[in-house]
Amino acid sequence: MSNARKDWLQQLDEASKQKQEQFLNGIAAKLQRPRMTQKPQRPLQGAPEFWEQFELGEVEKLEMFQRNFEAAGGYVLRAATLADASNIIVDKAVELKAMHVLRQDEQLLEQLGLEQAMPQVKVRSWNDDALEDWKARAAEADIGVVLADYAVAYTGSLALLSSKTKGRSVSLLPTLLFALVPRSSVVTRLGEVLKPLDELKRLPAGIHFVSGPSRSADIENDLTIGVHGPGIVYTIIIDEL
Amino acid sequence: MSTQQTELKGTVKERAQLALNNDFLRQAVKFTTERLRSGKLKAAEEHGNWEEWRERGRQIRLHTIAHLDYYLGEFANNARENGVHVHFADTAQDAISIALQIAKAKEAKSAVKSKSMVTEEIHLNQALQSIDCEAIETDLGEYIIQLANETPSHIIIPAIHKNRYQIAELLSEDAGEQLPPETSVLAGYVRKKLREKFLQADIGVTGCNFAIAESGSIVLFENEGNARMVSTVPKTQITFMGMERIIPSWADLEVMATLLPRSATGQKLTVYMSGITGPKREEDGDGPEEMHIIILDNGRSLQLGDPEFQELLNCIRCGACLNACPVYRHIGGHAYGGTYSGPIGAVLTPALKKNVAEWDDIANASSLCGACYEACPVKIPLHDMLVSLRRRKVEAGHDHPLERVGMKGFGTVMSNVKVYHRALKLGKLGQKVVVRDGGIRAKIGPLKGWNSHRVAPSISKQLFREQYGELRSELDQQAKAADPAVAARMREWLTGRDGGASHE
Ligand code: SF4
Repeated sequence: MSNARKDWLQQLDEASKQKQEQFLNGIAAKLQRPRMTQKPQRPLQGAPEFWEQFELGEVEKLEMFQRNFEAAGGYVLRAATLADASNIIVDKAVELKAMHVLRQDEQLLEQLGLEQAMPQVKVRSWNDDALEDWKARAAEADIGVVLADYAVAYTGSLALLSSKTKGRSVSLLPTLLFALVPRSSVVTRLGEVLKPLDELKRLPAGIHFVSGPSRSADIENDLTIGVHGPGIVYTIIIDEL
Repeated sequence: MSTQQTELKGTVKERAQLALNNDFLRQAVKFTTERLRSGKLKAAEEHGNWEEWRERGRQIRLHTIAHLDYYLGEFANNARENGVHVHFADTAQDAISIALQIAKAKEAKSAVKSKSMVTEEIHLNQALQSIDCEAIETDLGEYIIQLANETPSHIIIPAIHKNRYQIAELLSEDAGEQLPPETSVLAGYVRKKLREKFLQADIGVTGCNFAIAESGSIVLFENEGNARMVSTVPKTQITFMGMERIIPSWADLEVMATLLPRSATGQKLTVYMSGITGPKREEDGDGPEEMHIIILDNGRSLQLGDPEFQELLNCIRCGACLNACPVYRHIGGHAYGGTYSGPIGAVLTPALKKNVAEWDDIANASSLCGACYEACPVKIPLHDMLVSLRRRKVEAGHDHPLERVGMKGFGTVMSNVKVYHRALKLGKLGQKVVVRDGGIRAKIGPLKGWNSHRVAPSISKQLFREQYGELRSELDQQAKAADPAVAARMREWLTGRDGGASHE
């Protein structure tokens, strides 16, 4: 970034800090009390108490996730091992004649051995070449393969936290998405994923919940999928993990 | 940080020319839509304890707004810690001027946008165009409307008034080749075209459903994925948020995530819920390099400290009050004339302007029944507010004789238990339709804006219209008993709306 631009941004930030004081003082005045600088007491916070007690058993949890995810148009498959998951992905890629596959740069996903299993398909690993335009590669990919951090049964959602090796584009731009979920990472409530975020010192830049394929009904109210995000979304729950 | 970007292979334009595997896409679309249409879709299970969730939602919103100076300050400071450039704007003009400064500094040629009511409120697109920065709506329906040079504020679903042949024509012109009038092909074309736009755009513009004070994050709800695109692909992101969008913590987000999608579309959660905490980290492979958040007042603070209207700021923009309102369902969103329509719009539009004189008679009709309150996930007493607004207008001497009798007729309705309950029942019927039907067919992502709602399938619409007809004649009689001039005026008003409306 040029120095002139840096200066300009700094000026903006300085002006904004002053403006902030005026803005917040104005709010306090409207509320007819002095500025509040201490964290206020809160009798109630987050979900109702009864909800915090709600916890499904192992089997019910998986069933509910599947039910909800499929109701939204997604697919849920079970795999005993990572090798089984790999077979599922390869079979699908061959069936649909995929040309580009993009996976996150995660060790577990490397162990899938997709590169070796599909030599005819271009399989790439996110962000392993600093000079590549990864967003464009993701935009071309037929299949994206990601490791989800959690699956939430009650809403039928995958939770994906971004990092250097876990690009946001990999779960967004490809036409078909495979999300691998360790069975031990399936939780009952959204709050089980959200509440711990309050304890983290620094959050990842992108925290994405995905509950099925991208959808729109803007043309004659006719439902269509994949207008922007993936049109097919598979979750593979892996028992051994 | 930016050196990596400048050395990327190819020019931006070249990189945006994607080698998309179109056959794959077509197959994919068939694959999923057929499955969804084949009726395997299970209705969303009833979510228990709704009243408790609603009350909790209300408590969270009340608490946050009552301590807004604290939480907004927290939010701004934490967002800065994350590397965000935060800006405060008192007015629409202030917000525009900040946005234009950023766009000019970036020498921006194009900005991709996901749906945002605030940007509609401040007319951002026109402002960007004035400095030759193309503003591209990326929501499928909004994109179609933009191609047609029409404004979405006049329609219920952005493009529902266009059939697939007209849409095919518009898109064919855009494509420079003839496209068949098939939804999947048309959507596939837009997918490719907008991808190129996403990759070329200098700026991504988003709205903000919630802002989390304790972490300085913004949260977006949507179904298409364009808000994710807008907040992932361009180098610079500008997020516009109303100053009241705050919630304290991620724990509180669980409550909002429970209330918002269910109230808006009947979904358990929108397809995407994204929490964005600052620009991309140094080591990340994607995400914006520079992120701005513009926090807007534009009349919102006028509600603070006003015992009758402060709760307006609790609104989470779900649109449930529109769907529940018999009048909205009858006249459609375009009749409200402002950015915000339906019962909430009838109160919010004049409230933001602090100008009761401009307040439209529409509030008269909207306030028949209180169905809006019943539907509201954060229990905003919109019907009481409508009455207060009306009273203030009269007190301020802005009424004229006809309107004063209107007020009398209105009072008669409110005090007539039978009519009131009839209206209430109608509202509830509407609400049920939304929840049952909303699962998959209703196109009402929260990012859609509430004036683009359309949920009534033909059967219930029929039913509604029959019942509404009855209700209307009953109202007319009531009004007639009060004053014949009012009846005439009401009829005229209703037929005026009726005839011109495109909701049929
Ligand atoms: S006022 Fe209307 S749009 Fe706002 S939260 Fe209540 S029901 Fe939803």
